[in-house]
Amino acid sequence: MNPSVALPARRISDLLSSGLEARAKSKRNAMDQPRTDPDQELVKRTQSGDAAAFDELVIKYTPRLYGLVYNMTSNHEDTNDLLQDIFAKAYKAIRGFRGKSSFYTWIHSIAVNMTLNFLKKRGRRFQLSLDDVDASIQNDKEFLELTATSSPVREADLSELQRRLNEAMMKLSDEHRAVVTMFHIQGMPHAEISKILRVSEGTVRSRLFYANRQLQNYLDEFRKNPVS
Amino acid sequence: MDEFNDSEIARLLRLKRYEQPPLGYFENFLHEFHRRQRDELLRQPLWRICLERAHNFMLQLNVRSLTSYPAAVTAVLLCAAIISLKIYQQPETARVALQSPPTISVPASAEGEWNLASPVATQILRTQPVRSFHESAQTHRAAPPRYVLDSVPVSYEPTFRF
Repeated sequence: MNPSVALPARRISDLLSSGLEARAKSKRNAMDQPRTDPDQELVKRTQSGDAAAFDELVIKYTPRLYGLVYNMTSNHEDTNDLLQDIFAKAYKAIRGFRGKSSFYTWIHSIAVNMTLNFLKKRGRRFQLSLDDVDASIQNDKEFLELTATSSPVREADLSELQRRLNEAMMKLSDEHRAVVTMFHIQGMPHAEISKILRVSEGTVRSRLFYANRQLQNYLDEFRKNPVS
Repeated sequence: MDEFNDSEIARLLRLKRYEQPPLGYFENFLHEFHRRQRDELLRQPLWRICLERAHNFMLQLNVRSLTSYPAAVTAVLLCAAIISLKIYQQPETARVALQSPPTISVPASAEGEWNLASPVATQILRTQPVRSFHESAQTHRAAPPRYVLDSVPVSYEPTFRF
């Protein structure tokens, strides 16, 4: 091989490899760097005694946690009481929060655990107390598709559909309902759910699979008799 | 279609997002939260409030991280105590060892009167080192009287050998 030709070729390969290495290194660094918690500042201020900072956290997380608790309990009044207790508990415990997880994960863990405890105490004796369905659902693309393609959804009125869905959800076990709520309704990824519930991602996936099969069975009745 | 498939179930469940609490619920939630917190605070006895405040204060100080300091200080003090005890004990034993064998000494005043006429050498058995005049004067006042004993028995035999 002619060295005058080989040298530039080696240089090119060196440059390429160094470029790839640098890119891989920067990617690795980006992965190694812990993601900054967007609530870190508010948490720190709360920990140092600034109650207004906690108010901001309450305002930020109330709608999201309301959805989580409501879809697990299917009762507005229970949800309201639970939500008050969840924030009260979070406020008391926030001084001990060391930021090992994000505040988002931490407060969702408190919410799920408190709701699961409440559901165990409540047992099976309860009544549905459902919120009104927002009128904007009529403009939802998915709803329009469902009403166009699925005959039971088309035939049933909106409140009937809501009642059937909630009844089917309440037939699931509390743990399965928690996973279904977080994944399907709240749109959380498996990894986040596993952190909140402190179980493996595999457990989350298997619970989800089992819950979907159960929901298929429960909603089969709805498919056969859309109007009861 | 026989039954809802997974994607249809997912789409149906996503519709539950449209179930919303009454208008103004989220706006009033914070006020309700504050009101409940105040009520709960007023219901608590004073000692409990104080205890809670103290607990919060300790948490703020991060007491857990400070627990190593007292442990380290205690360990250092213990080591210092042990070392100092050993240091003080060593000279004491040395002094006792020096003092223990009885020393035979002749008082300075008696040396001048030593002659052949007095065949008996009166020797004083002393277990204490010779003290200065002032010291002995001070101790004589306070200490009980001391007795002088002859360490060598009295003998009138001549001590010369041929």
